[in-house]
Amino acid sequence: MHRHAILNASNNSNNERSTWAIDVDHVSKSFALAGGQSLLAIDDVDIKIAKGEFVALLGPSGCGKSTILRLVAALEQVNSGRVTINGRAPVELSRSHRLGVAFQDHALLPWLTVEANLALPFHVAGQSVDKDRIAELLNLVGLGAFGKARPSQLSGGMRQRVSIARALALRPEVLLLDEPFGALDAVTRQHMNIELQRIWSEQRITTLLVTHSVEEALFLADRVLVMSGRPGRVIRSVEVPFGRPRAPAVQRTSEFHALADELTLALEPEPAA
Amino acid sequence: MSNAQEAWRTLGLGALGIALFLLAWELIGLNRLAGLSWPAFSTVIDYALQPPRYPMFGRAMGATFTTVAVGYVSGAVLGIVLAGAVHVVTWFRPGVDRLASVIHSIPPIALAPLLIVLINRDSTGIVIAALNVFFILYVATGSGLNASSKTHRDLFQVLGARPSTRLMRLDFPAALPAMVGGLKYAVPAAFIGAILGEWFGSSRGLGLLMVSAMQNFQIPLLWSAVLIASTSSLLLFGLMSLLEQSVRRRNR
Repeated sequence: MHRHAILNASNNSNNERSTWAIDVDHVSKSFALAGGQSLLAIDDVDIKIAKGEFVALLGPSGCGKSTILRLVAALEQVNSGRVTINGRAPVELSRSHRLGVAFQDHALLPWLTVEANLALPFHVAGQSVDKDRIAELLNLVGLGAFGKARPSQLSGGMRQRVSIARALALRPEVLLLDEPFGALDAVTRQHMNIELQRIWSEQRITTLLVTHSVEEALFLADRVLVMSGRPGRVIRSVEVPFGRPRAPAVQRTSEFHALADELTLALEPEPAA
Repeated sequence: MSNAQEAWRTLGLGALGIALFLLAWELIGLNRLAGLSWPAFSTVIDYALQPPRYPMFGRAMGATFTTVAVGYVSGAVLGIVLAGAVHVVTWFRPGVDRLASVIHSIPPIALAPLLIVLINRDSTGIVIAALNVFFILYVATGSGLNASSKTHRDLFQVLGARPSTRLMRLDFPAALPAMVGGLKYAVPAAFIGAILGEWFGSSRGLGLLMVSAMQNFQIPLLWSAVLIASTSSLLLFGLMSLLEQSVRRRNR
């Protein structure tokens, strides 16, 4: 099966090698349902992300935005179209340990300390553990003193920060964030957005963020793509005009509010009467 | 109520329960409520704690505990290794699952005469104990290896983990609570197997002591042997429970 995937990728790249950091090229994906039916999750989605760009994928729940992220993460296979990361198939990148991912569920291993969790990507990649890198990451996410703690001793927000630090450990080519703060309360979530903004400004890694929060998308991303549901399609693309580094105060400007209103409206195709 | 108070309460109620049980045993025995074959608790203790009887009990305990230990360890290793093997090479899992169920559904008491003929009298207990323990550990390990969350499995896939890496760094650690739980329930199962084997004519052990005491109507001896076997099994079970609690805490 693996050989098959590689063959497919090389066949495709014969046509032309994509120069985008992430290229979701006219992709459709359907899932088989019980009873022989199938559900079209996303339909002809076309997303190009440039190197070093932060793109937020915004949509209602069940619109297929997580499916797109899972296709980029090589966790699902496309039915038609193709996905490439710097011209290569996602499965090649995952196998060479070049993908960073953080989910809504922090997915830290409860039996390991924070440090050992950050060492996991090194072990999985068969590399020697870079202690300096782990210390650097802990400081980056503001948890320098918590290396010996267990995940169960941390707050929800701290766990998500460790999870993002783990995603960054091997300096991946792309960072994939699937609603990383979706399970946090509003206040913690706001804090985490400010933290992620700071962390990202220091790394400038190509990032795809899946979220259903308009404010989160606007505050963090360079570009926001709005999706409609069933089947999932990209219906709007909005360039975020705010520069970097982006101060939290940006969220209180009238321009931010106007954009937020516009995106919220785009999310609701039939506004309530 | 705080956790410490809760723990003391549980401990106190447990001690009270044991005291009530022993008191009932004593009263029934003293008043001959259950006839001649039910001695008082104090009679049994008095009988067992006579120094001249120590060598006899010592030899029997040595034999039975050896059988239990050998059966327990070999059954557990077999169960864990086989569960790990079918977890990695999934295509022969259904076959091994069925084989294990079939073996388990044969009552060991029906198997014992066969084993005596096939192997020998003294090893029958080991084999029955090992079979009992094997099944428990095979099932516990098998379900434990699938206990990791979907997100954890996704994470390992995105990180590009090889199957062996995932087994050692995710599936196996995630399976530990279930495995230790299995090891706990395997303790009485190993004792059952060992003593059952000894009933069928082993030359040594607590099981032999029970059978000969029963046939010769040596009631205090019979109860002493049963008491020693049950207490040892309960103590080991309790120790494994403590281990299980600490492993579960670690995996939470």
